[in-house]
Amino acid sequence: MMGYFVRRLLYAIPILLGVNVLTFALFFLVNTPDDMARMQLGERRLTPAAIEQWKVEHGYHRPVFWNAAQTGVTQLTDTLFFDSTTRLFRFDFGKSDAGRDINADIAERMGPSLAIAVPVLLVGLACALTWALTIAWLAGTRLDFWSGVLCVAMMSISGLFYIIGGQWLLAKLWHLAPISGYADGLASLRFILLPVVVSVLASLGGSVRWYRALFLEELSKDYVRMARAKGLSDARVMFGHVFRNALIPILTGVVVLIPSLFLGALITEAFFAIPGLGSYTIEALQAQDFAVVRAMVFLGSLLYIAGLMLTDLSYLIADPRVRLE
Amino acid sequence: MSDHLLQIDQLCVHIGDQPVIENLSLDLKRGETLVLAGESGSGKSLTALSVARLLPAAAQIRAGRITLGDTALFNLAEREMTKVRGARIGYIFQEPQLALNPVMTVGDQIGEVLGCHLKLRGKARQQRVIEALAAVGIPDPERRAGEYPHQFSGGMKQRVMIAIALAGEPELLIADEPTTALDVTVQAQVLALLKAEQQRRGMGMLFITHDLGVAWQVADHLAVMQAGRVVENAPRDRFYAAPEHPYSRTLFAALPKLEPQAHTAPVVHDQPLLEVRNLAVHFPIRQGLFKRTVASVKAVNGVSFTLQAGETLAIVGESGSGKTTMGRGILRLLDLTDGQVLHRGDDLRQLSSEALRIRRRELQMIFQDPFAAMNPRMLVNEILQEGMLAQGIGGSAAQRDARVRELLVQVGLKAEHGLRYPHEFSGGQRQRLCIARALAVEPRMVVCDEPTSALDVSVQAQILELLEELQQRLGIAYLFITHNLGVVARIAHRVAVMHQGVIVEQGPVNQVLFAPRHPYTQALLAAVPRIDA
Amino acid sequence: MPTPLLLLSDLAAWLLFLVTLAYACTASRREHLRAPWRRVRQQPVAMVAAVVLLAHVGITLLDSLHFAPQAANGTEAEPEPLSALDFVLTPLRTGVETSYSAPFALLGFDRESVLQADGRVVREYPRLRYGGAHLRDPAQRGPDILQRGAIGAGAGALAGWFLLRLLWPAQCRLWRQRKDDPAGRAAALTLLLLCVLAGLGGALATRYHVFGTDKVGMDVLYQSVKSVRTGVLIGTLTTLVTLPLALVLGVAAGYYRGRIDDLVQYGYTTLASIPGVLLVAASALLLDGVMTRHEDDFSSLIVRADLRLLALCVILGITSWTGLCRLLRAEALKLRESDFVRAAEALGVRGPRILWRHLLPNVMHIVIIATVLDFSGLVLAEAALTYINIGVDPGMESWGNMINAARMELARQPAVWWSLSAAMLWMFVLVLAANLFADAVREAFDPRTREATPSARPAGT
Repeated sequence: MMGYFVRRLLYAIPILLGVNVLTFALFFLVNTPDDMARMQLGERRLTPAAIEQWKVEHGYHRPVFWNAAQTGVTQLTDTLFFDSTTRLFRFDFGKSDAGRDINADIAERMGPSLAIAVPVLLVGLACALTWALTIAWLAGTRLDFWSGVLCVAMMSISGLFYIIGGQWLLAKLWHLAPISGYADGLASLRFILLPVVVSVLASLGGSVRWYRALFLEELSKDYVRMARAKGLSDARVMFGHVFRNALIPILTGVVVLIPSLFLGALITEAFFAIPGLGSYTIEALQAQDFAVVRAMVFLGSLLYIAGLMLTDLSYLIADPRVRLE
Repeated sequence: MSDHLLQIDQLCVHIGDQPVIENLSLDLKRGETLVLAGESGSGKSLTALSVARLLPAAAQIRAGRITLGDTALFNLAEREMTKVRGARIGYIFQEPQLALNPVMTVGDQIGEVLGCHLKLRGKARQQRVIEALAAVGIPDPERRAGEYPHQFSGGMKQRVMIAIALAGEPELLIADEPTTALDVTVQAQVLALLKAEQQRRGMGMLFITHDLGVAWQVADHLAVMQAGRVVENAPRDRFYAAPEHPYSRTLFAALPKLEPQAHTAPVVHDQPLLEVRNLAVHFPIRQGLFKRTVASVKAVNGVSFTLQAGETLAIVGESGSGKTTMGRGILRLLDLTDGQVLHRGDDLRQLSSEALRIRRRELQMIFQDPFAAMNPRMLVNEILQEGMLAQGIGGSAAQRDARVRELLVQVGLKAEHGLRYPHEFSGGQRQRLCIARALAVEPRMVVCDEPTSALDVSVQAQILELLEELQQRLGIAYLFITHNLGVVARIAHRVAVMHQGVIVEQGPVNQVLFAPRHPYTQALLAAVPRIDA
Repeated sequence: MPTPLLLLSDLAAWLLFLVTLAYACTASRREHLRAPWRRVRQQPVAMVAAVVLLAHVGITLLDSLHFAPQAANGTEAEPEPLSALDFVLTPLRTGVETSYSAPFALLGFDRESVLQADGRVVREYPRLRYGGAHLRDPAQRGPDILQRGAIGAGAGALAGWFLLRLLWPAQCRLWRQRKDDPAGRAAALTLLLLCVLAGLGGALATRYHVFGTDKVGMDVLYQSVKSVRTGVLIGTLTTLVTLPLALVLGVAAGYYRGRIDDLVQYGYTTLASIPGVLLVAASALLLDGVMTRHEDDFSSLIVRADLRLLALCVILGITSWTGLCRLLRAEALKLRESDFVRAAEALGVRGPRILWRHLLPNVMHIVIIATVLDFSGLVLAEAALTYINIGVDPGMESWGNMINAARMELARQPAVWWSLSAAMLWMFVLVLAANLFADAVREAFDPRTREATPSARPAGT
């Protein structure tokens, strides 16, 4: 099993490389280093010498992929791509184009992102599972039908509406929570209440339908009929048998999301002015700060691959068929 | 206490508007076994499910009464019925693979019944679980109680099912085709186990099967069902001596009999049509960091035989013997690890892919499951013509159409059936279509991979007849893979017995089947349920 | 005489429409496609949703017939190209006020400096130029609305009735004779309802601003209707890009395995690991740069906005094919082990033909389900993307733009709520209809929920 994970890690390397190549290609098609320098320096200090100096400071004076001026291996290594890639793999994200220390920024902004994403995941999961389990038990009744209608309706409402409506209703009208913003420590509780409520509501409809479908699919399987033939009560069949089996695909579907929690929900953070990694990325995109963008893309990819590995791990733990080959 | 354990009185069950069980009446006494025999679609499983009130939602009980001992089952509320199930009625399903919960240990699944009905907890319960496993013949029960279903073999899983069914100490045991999915040798053991347990506990058993040979082994009484009705109900001996109803007679006649039969020996040529030398198919087991091959599953491990033109060589074996793998390997539908496959002198392994593709015309295959063997989204016409198009034979479109019509008639269907989709045909008809598809390219040899196993007994006989007739008329050689020795006796000239990837015995069919030399062959033959009428 | 102008997106829209019609024709002839669609036809909810969707498609197609109107004599500026829908909605389009106004209002929302007849300048709520301008007495508004509304609804009902007669001549005794076709009845009722609404809207919208006006005085109802095309096109054109990529790569990877499989898996894992928003953003910025550099090549703003819409569809397509590809690969892996594929191999059928004849038709149900499911997701995504400035051109009418612009308006005192509500409402209706339709399609096409084929299987009975 150890070998399996080492192999997965090794496989991650070409993927991260590919991701990096793509990011570089996209970015440098959009902007040349000269453009970047111009953007960051502003109109006032714009001289050719200043541009050159900025480029050297940030390492953009070298060619991107291929250095024709050198010979041998250094043709490949004395390039922007090679340099920044090796640094990324060391998690040395360097300085942003605007001059800030990226590593520090990431460490600082990770907290707020997690402060929202983790409660959303847990609360959302708990609510959706409860609702779906109840509805699966009552499948075929009027309650099931109307619950299905409600779920489809909730799914069809744009996430933006939940945010804007939530802000207007709970914050502006009823003054239950601040509209946006963030504070550190315990005071953050006031500020995360609204984003968490809004995010959970927005995803509830879809999740409940998905879980309900999983439960119903398990209910139609042969082992459920066998369980009833053993004389077990409906409750025992539901919780002892169906729930446990359905939990496998549910959990693995949730586990794959865990690493991306760090990145936060970009839209939510933007609307609620949460200083998390999501809004960090958006701001960098809008300011065309390449250093930050490539760092965030790298981080995002790494977390995604970590999510895939976590999924495999959770299968190993949860499903005895996989565990005991 | 009355002698009658189970009484079914004028039971009527409908699915939608269709009656699936009509005016069914049965009677089972304590300590006896009633076998409910019939083909698929006869309603026997639904009858059993009705007793336990486990019918699918689509089925409704329209009329009738079922009495278990003194209790009228249909009068009970659902809550009370759950107390009957498991405690008074034990149910054994056909497919242990699907009926056992894959994420619960075997011990827990047995323990559930003990906790629910016998109110056992803790150590007492654990003790009983181990006893139950030991009683059904599972070795090392302490350890195995903590294992999961997928860690057991097919036969072991079925034993676990039996242990679960018996755990609540029921009066009535319902067994729905409990051995159909098992190998012959395992089947014999499981049947013996069931009979022994029944005797020991004095239970009544309602046993469902389509195999009259199995029925002979277990039955005290026999009831034959057809299209939702009981057409004959008699004590075992009387039934097997002289079945009365015409349907029962057809069932009997269709049974492949394990008796020496006369076969016209085919002409022996100098060069056999197919010669297989030391064929091996190994599947690597990869482990470790760099996926090194540490060992292999030797599915086929050195098999040699010859096949003459126009003859039928049967390959017999149980599941896991490697016969199907070998069949596919010979046609190079999967990769061969070693050995030679000489077809008309040319080694198929050495042929280029294009040469092989053209050679395929002469080597065709018929598969086990006629439902999966045809593309559900193609017309029969297109299915039959596909081979001709791929091989570039058959001429113009009109000529191909004519050939398709001719083929359909040849296999016993109608010429206009070409304009239908596969799902519009029954199982037997679909298998005929598959045979027609193979014939379309005019092969010299056809590998038949269990072509009748998925079909009803009466249909099986028809397909075998068709295959024999085609062989006589067209001189096709068959490599007939099967586990059914009765079929072998009927259709084969020679037979090879496979066990764990090697051929343990081969020779003329009358010799191997009725004077076997190898101990495995002997054990196989001994396990076949026979009717000693 | 106006000259027709063919925008690229128009071309794509009509092309897609024709392809769908062609599919419908072939589906009606092949039994295995006809049966599931017939099941969809029998669901009342699905039919109601289908009518609503078709109405939206109709609006989209009407809005996809552009022509360049002739410049009026004496003017220098070349007028913007108009569509057939613009032509129909002319009173709404030209009735531009100065600024905000509430739905059905007679007065503007903000105070303005109005020059009085006697030369004084007074700050008061100005009377609207077009909204309710026909009323001399403001108190008459209520009865006027009721009267117009009734006439409009009546006209709509009548038109609807005639339309139904035209489409289904034999089915006019809807209630009595067609009791056995509840789905058809529901569909007919929905159509009638839509016609009534159209009539109502038409009658009222010519005289009032039914949903008010936005910041620059543009009628909000007009904006909403124009946004339909944007939403529908994003939902459908994206599939034009996603489908070929995912289909070819996924099925080939699953069937051939080996190198091709490794390559495809590498491809979609790499793409999938980049957060989607980032990819879209980067590509959008790239596009912006390209377009700025070729500024002069675009004949008008509308052509530029159009290209941006198409580019957005392409980008969304390229970033979202990974999900479908993964599903198709898994299905192809399963299918290649099935007996009928083996049989085809045994017959000597070549690889590409096996892909085309055996694998492709048997994965189509996944494709259809995924396509219909993705539609609503894409419509919703557009709104979110526009917020972070990587959506459609700000000059193009879209619900995303409406929401974006309207967000800040809620903070005003008193709040301006109608723009936002209109956008949300329309989007909700379209997405809900799509979701309900998608549900019915999934149920009809999923082989597990399909009726058991008549069989002689030994298992079970």
